[in-house]
Amino acid sequence: MLNIQTRQEGTASVVSIQGKVNFEVTAQLRDVIRETVATAQPKLLVVNLEGVSFIDSSGLGLLVAARNSVDKSGGKLHLACLPAPVKKTFDQTNLTNYFSIFSTEQDALRGA
Amino acid sequence: MAKGAVLVVDDEAPIRDILSFYLKRAGYQVLTASNGAEALAEMDRSRPDLIISDLRMPEMPGDELCKRVKSDAATRDIYFIILSALDGTASRIGGLSLGADDMIPKPFHAQEVLAKVDSTFRLIEMQKEIKRQNKELTAFQQRVQEEMSLAAALQMGLLPKLPGEAPGCRYTHRYLPAEGIGGDIYAILPLPDGCTAMMIADVSGHGVTAALISAMVKTSFENQVRLGGEPLSWAHGMNEDLCRSTLAEQFATAWLGRLDPAANRIRYVVAGHCAPLRIVGGSKGGLQRSEVMRGKGFMLGLDEQLPFMEQEAEFLPGDRLVLYTDGLVEVERTDRSMLEEAGLRRICAELPVGAEAAADAVIAQARAFNQPAPFVDDVTLVVLDRMG
Repeated sequence: MLNIQTRQEGTASVVSIQGKVNFEVTAQLRDVIRETVATAQPKLLVVNLEGVSFIDSSGLGLLVAARNSVDKSGGKLHLACLPAPVKKTFDQTNLTNYFSIFSTEQDALRGA
Repeated sequence: MAKGAVLVVDDEAPIRDILSFYLKRAGYQVLTASNGAEALAEMDRSRPDLIISDLRMPEMPGDELCKRVKSDAATRDIYFIILSALDGTASRIGGLSLGADDMIPKPFHAQEVLAKVDSTFRLIEMQKEIKRQNKELTAFQQRVQEEMSLAAALQMGLLPKLPGEAPGCRYTHRYLPAEGIGGDIYAILPLPDGCTAMMIADVSGHGVTAALISAMVKTSFENQVRLGGEPLSWAHGMNEDLCRSTLAEQFATAWLGRLDPAANRIRYVVAGHCAPLRIVGGSKGGLQRSEVMRGKGFMLGLDEQLPFMEQEAEFLPGDRLVLYTDGLVEVERTDRSMLEEAGLRRICAELPVGAEAAADAVIAQARAFNQPAPFVDDVTLVVLDRMG
């Protein structure tokens, strides 16, 4: 079961995720991100992964697709607070270099 | 058009007439019989949707008729309403226990019967519709299952034939898709120059979509290998192919390698995939040391512009190569731990001689570690022994 919270910080939207991000829950997360992007049209979308214990390839695919769709609408996507196991997955797939990753949510919101 | 056919069974002609009159006026087709035996004869000629029958009749009474109708599979679904002069709860329960669907006490108002017939036909229509939909669903489900098992067989056909042989090497695989059909694929191709091209890939997601893309990945790999070049150019070519032909969230992790037996080396590209293990002298069995063929690279199909990097590793006669997909090592146990690469290396520290026996041992020990959690993702394991 995935716990997702969204909130606005000025022109930025923050999506915080807790739980295991795998095939079973990607549809739920995709809907939330899609709706946030469509309604708030944020200049910056921060995805806080602090509470994520595990992410599989479907989850990674979802984040990549989210980045691409935010890019297309002229915005940016920043990832914040990757726990060690998630960081490892990102390293292995070299996604660490594909995303802008920040160690705190504040940095991600400020993030140049 | 008639709304439906009602068979009225009563030994008293005035009752048959009055019911016929009302039912016909309401648009029903009406059949009549004066006792159970006549009713059965009538039913041989035409098939009513509903029977309204008196209980006490000569020749064959209503309870006997009801029993016969309800015990015959061909007529069981016909609605049966008993008309009974025996008012009171006892006879009502008696009638229903015969298998009748409803009862109308005598004396009755024709309007009351008509209302009951109307509501019964609404039920009949609903049941017919449900049956029709159920039949369609069952047929659809059966077709899907047949197609899935056909697709699964076809997918198995995409894998190399076993026992696998490449120049100076013997290999085998274990392929365990999560849903009968999966997103894992691998290929081993001997090259004209005596080298061997190898690929293992894991398409994001499961099921039919992932399986289709896995077939695409294999074709793309074969095309790239045919063009010549090194794993680095294969990775770029496959990445372009996948970027062009897949949807936003679909990509594949892959490991691509080229074994040069003359140089005793493997050149390879890691595209977001689990790094394979080289087991030094592993084909001889016993206690062995493993090395991880590390490398960093993006998954295939993310973005056409992304760079890949080629690495090189030694691979000597007698060495063993273990290729796998993450489903093998990423099963979360109840204590939340997973086998991971470190655990697989522990298993690979001592494996038997022969690729077949080694593959069995890896799967069995990974399962034992995962207990009681079964594999949840597609699992592929390839063990390749270089003859010493």
